Amino acid sequence: MANTIFELKDVHFSYLGKYPALRGIDIKIEKGQKIAVIGANGSGKSTLLHMLDGLIFPERGSITAFGSALNEDIFNDKVFSKDFRKKVGLVFQNPDVQLFCPTVKDDIIFGPLQLGIEEQEIEKRLERLLAILNIKDLVNRPPHQLSIGEKRKVAIASTLIIEPEVLILDEPTAGLDPLTTRHIIDLLIEENISGRTIITSTHDLHIVEEISDTVYVFSHNKQIVKSGEPDSILKDAALLQANNLVHIHSHRHKDKIHIHSHIHLDHHAEG
Amino acid sequence: MLKNNNFIERSIMGALSFLKESVFADEYALRKGLLQSLDPRIKAATFLLFIIQAILIKDILILLCLYALCLSLACLSKINLGFFLKRTWIFIPLFSLFIAIPALFSVFTPGETLAVIDLLGFKLIITRQGFFGALLFVTRVITSVSFAVLLSITTKHFELLKALRIFKVPQIFVMILGMCYRYIYLFMEIIENTYTAIKSRVGLEVHYKRGQRIVALNIAFLWYRSYRLNEEVYNAMLSRGYDGEPVILHDFKTSAKDWLWLFFVIILFMGLTYLGAKARV
Repeated sequence: MANTIFELKDVHFSYLGKYPALRGIDIKIEKGQKIAVIGANGSGKSTLLHMLDGLIFPERGSITAFGSALNEDIFNDKVFSKDFRKKVGLVFQNPDVQLFCPTVKDDIIFGPLQLGIEEQEIEKRLERLLAILNIKDLVNRPPHQLSIGEKRKVAIASTLIIEPEVLILDEPTAGLDPLTTRHIIDLLIEENISGRTIITSTHDLHIVEEISDTVYVFSHNKQIVKSGEPDSILKDAALLQANNLVHIHSHRHKDKIHIHSHIHLDHHAEG
Repeated sequence: MLKNNNFIERSIMGALSFLKESVFADEYALRKGLLQSLDPRIKAATFLLFIIQAILIKDILILLCLYALCLSLACLSKINLGFFLKRTWIFIPLFSLFIAIPALFSVFTPGETLAVIDLLGFKLIITRQGFFGALLFVTRVITSVSFAVLLSITTKHFELLKALRIFKVPQIFVMILGMCYRYIYLFMEIIENTYTAIKSRVGLEVHYKRGQRIVALNIAFLWYRSYRLNEEVYNAMLSRGYDGEPVILHDFKTSAKDWLWLFFVIILFMGLTYLGAKARV
């Protein structure tokens, strides 16, 4: 129990009270775990991550984090709120949402400054992260001048600098080139080895095996249809196909036309 | 495609490119010149002194000297003088039309006759007092505008915003200004992309009524996007510990050069005030 970070029991949530986004979600996340949440667009992944970050709260059911029930009232307590924000960091799906300051440096140090971390310590962490993510050259540039890959790296840096116990990432590799994707995956693996709990939502199936030891599959009904180890989930072609995570693909090899289900994992399986 | 001569499209694209060139290009702020090397806080404070001086001085010769100083500072800061004059004089017709030109005539400024204009039988009298009053007004406006423009083009925008803090502007206000600056660019990109998408889909010619409808729909769409973005950005701020009181890093550093500049400006300010007072006597 002491190792349990998040526990969600029968959680329901809807937008404007009429558009369901989560239905009966039960999840338990332990310290140091790597969790992947997979599902098609609009299946409720982002809503779940926002709930884990204490930005929205269940309409029905309960969510506890570090042993405390999460609700709007508890975040009015500044001590709890600050402590929670230090422990949990979310990298948003759209980096333009997360990068709202005039320069990259201002954006990266925004979090620790609000959380009252010493300026010297912030400078130290900043230097380290700039080196790790190889973004030293960007530090004085306005975020709007950056490419999508650079923006994502800065967004990750702006969360990592808080050094949270739990790092939540909403589709961190969407739209990135293979090299940047690799860089981000390596970083996540290193962060997990150093003890951080990593929760990632994605529909990039080829990264799931590396970034998770437990996978939750979300359906169009905003429910968890299956959870388990990545290996067993990724082998369940029927499940993936039913949830729009693979598709039937037709292509020509010389004079023969092949029709089979297409999953990006296939390209890497033999490597 | 919306017709090339489409008024709305040309206006939007013109406005966007003007904004991109004038507001978002820090081209001059990145050059290595005199003003660019100064601490933004001291620069902003000294330029405020210049502008106050330009407002207070009643002697046109002293005002012209101040304007000449502004142009010299522009040259020392590696600003193209043609560009600078164009950027500053663009404001003048607007002021002249509504304030300076009416002030020329005896109807508004009675006094000694300087010239008479016969306009379709109506005699308009330009008075000496009116003429010098209008000249002083225009010189004052151009000098103040020139200093303001010079400050803004020789300072990176985010540094200028941060410098506002020395005038005790609340941090929340500085932060909101910074965010406006950041997101105006994002919305400009959205508008540009939307127009490209429209061009690629609606064909070669669009009736102006349909064009107006497309523009109206896009305004609504942009409003909706900004509303959504507002909520999401606030969540992103909360997620990183924001609780209504923004904390910002104080990272400006001053050097001997900055203090020397401040000293020079204060002496000049006092000297010009003395000269102004003497001229009045």
